[in-house]
Amino acid sequence: MNALKDKLPPLGTLGPVIALLMACAFFATQSDRFLTGQNLSLVLQQVMVVGVIAIGQTLIILTAGIDLSCGMVMALGSVVMTKFATELGMPPALAVLCGIAVTTLFGLANGLLVTRIKLPPFIVTLGTLNIAFAITQLYSQSQTITDLPELMTGLGNTFTIGGTEVAWGVVAMLGLYLVAWFALRETARGRHVYAVGNSPEATRLTGIPTQRILLGVYVLAGFFYGIASLLSVARTGVGDPNAGQTENLDAITAVVLGGTSLFGGRGVILGSLVGALIVGVFRNGLTLMGVSSVYQILVTGILVILAVAADQLSHKASR
Amino acid sequence: MTASSNTAPLVLQAKGLVKRYGQVTALDGADFELRAGEILAVIGDNGAGKSSLIKALSGAVVPDEGEILLDGQPIHFRSPIDARRAGIETVYQDLAVAPAMTIAENLFLGRELRRPGFMGNVLRMLDKKEMLAQSVARMNDLKVGIRSMTQPVETLSGGQRQCVAVARAAAFAQHVVIMDEPTAALGVKEGNMVLELIRRVRDKGLPVVLISHNMPHVFEVADRIHVARLGKRAAVLNPKKISMSDTVAVMTGAMRAEDIPADCLA
Repeated sequence: MNALKDKLPPLGTLGPVIALLMACAFFATQSDRFLTGQNLSLVLQQVMVVGVIAIGQTLIILTAGIDLSCGMVMALGSVVMTKFATELGMPPALAVLCGIAVTTLFGLANGLLVTRIKLPPFIVTLGTLNIAFAITQLYSQSQTITDLPELMTGLGNTFTIGGTEVAWGVVAMLGLYLVAWFALRETARGRHVYAVGNSPEATRLTGIPTQRILLGVYVLAGFFYGIASLLSVARTGVGDPNAGQTENLDAITAVVLGGTSLFGGRGVILGSLVGALIVGVFRNGLTLMGVSSVYQILVTGILVILAVAADQLSHKASR
Repeated sequence: MTASSNTAPLVLQAKGLVKRYGQVTALDGADFELRAGEILAVIGDNGAGKSSLIKALSGAVVPDEGEILLDGQPIHFRSPIDARRAGIETVYQDLAVAPAMTIAENLFLGRELRRPGFMGNVLRMLDKKEMLAQSVARMNDLKVGIRSMTQPVETLSGGQRQCVAVARAAAFAQHVVIMDEPTAALGVKEGNMVLELIRRVRDKGLPVVLISHNMPHVFEVADRIHVARLGKRAAVLNPKKISMSDTVAVMTGAMRAEDIPADCLA
């Protein structure tokens, strides 16, 4: 009996999956089109940007931090890479690398402010959120960047499995999730990320360089936002200075819905993928039902509060 | 059990340690001697220099003057990590474990074992099986009665958590285990469980430095008692000869060192 119990994943891990299945079941009853292969493939494409941002966000939340700047940094990255490729005429691959470098630098700046000056992540990233937004608007002059080279939108192309179209970007997202899952679960550095979020002082006393791990997490998150920039460009086919506004909160919602605790040190990265799918399914399902986008924003707002409340209650119960 | 004799070799020694914080002199030429196979209790009133002494020995502060010898060799710790590398492990009062992580993970935190070959060297994959097996062996060895090494530490009682912290220190310490108030936050039964474990650690051959305010606990397990007072070592007492009230008198200065009967010194 106990042996069986040890083998089954705890309810906390299954919760998000159950929520996802229930959401799917609900929308299937509301719209005939919801469960079609074409629609589900669309959901996945809509989810890939938020999904990749959520990887970086999960790393930060696992250390008991938070990154409010994620969506805006992603938008800046996509504007940089598309502008560099079109206006500066840079080779597309190099332009993409420059975009990723910019988002990674933002991660580094967040990380340095958090680890060196010991500022709360909430305030630091609220600041960089505005800085990234302003730079994005100034640099792009609020103009969408079009006529992109084929290489930049390649990840938006699709291939067909069993009659269903799958975007390469979705494959890339799943690959990144597998890598992050492996690193967090099976390597010492990954376990140290949990330890830092769990009990920074106890972790420091065991000789683990906690500040370096924190800094590394913010830098890595910035890198993931850069990948998300590329996916965003690939999906929409343009460099959009107004991208990232829904992704900002959606990524945090995805992580929390996926069961990662805002108090740090608890959670599974694959949960964030499920969380991102829940957010995606809600947006898609409500659209199919003909609900206006304002109500979708309302629903995501309620979702994030419910998820945080559940986290808070389970946290109290375990104390 | 191993009644320490004054002939047992010195493991950890400090001579004339001085530590000043601005106007305040926390250590004023403090000496310290820990012998092989003993539990040495360190007691002292607040401000007696007890915690500065322990911090110097565990690498948390660097003394201004004086020297520290480990197995007769001079050592200079600049951080607790240096002390750990030299084989001195410290158990802190309550910051010792990561609650959401499993017992096995806590035992190996910061010293994880990697798989051999490609999986370990290239993919950096942890050897969870081996760490689990060693955790079970270590805990059995110390007779810590915890059933599963894969349960999160937060599911344990306070005493069991402290046992995990002590077991971790004992498992990795080559020379000395320092315990800073390990029973302070625990109830009577839980405290006794930890005391029992401290004895077993000593019986395994590791000398233990035990900092405690709890006189009954000190008298229950200590082989010798180091009394810190006014930044110096006031005396080293034999708990089998001296009474608890006389010990407190030495600690507070009510009894002067030269008035202590010779057979009560250790």
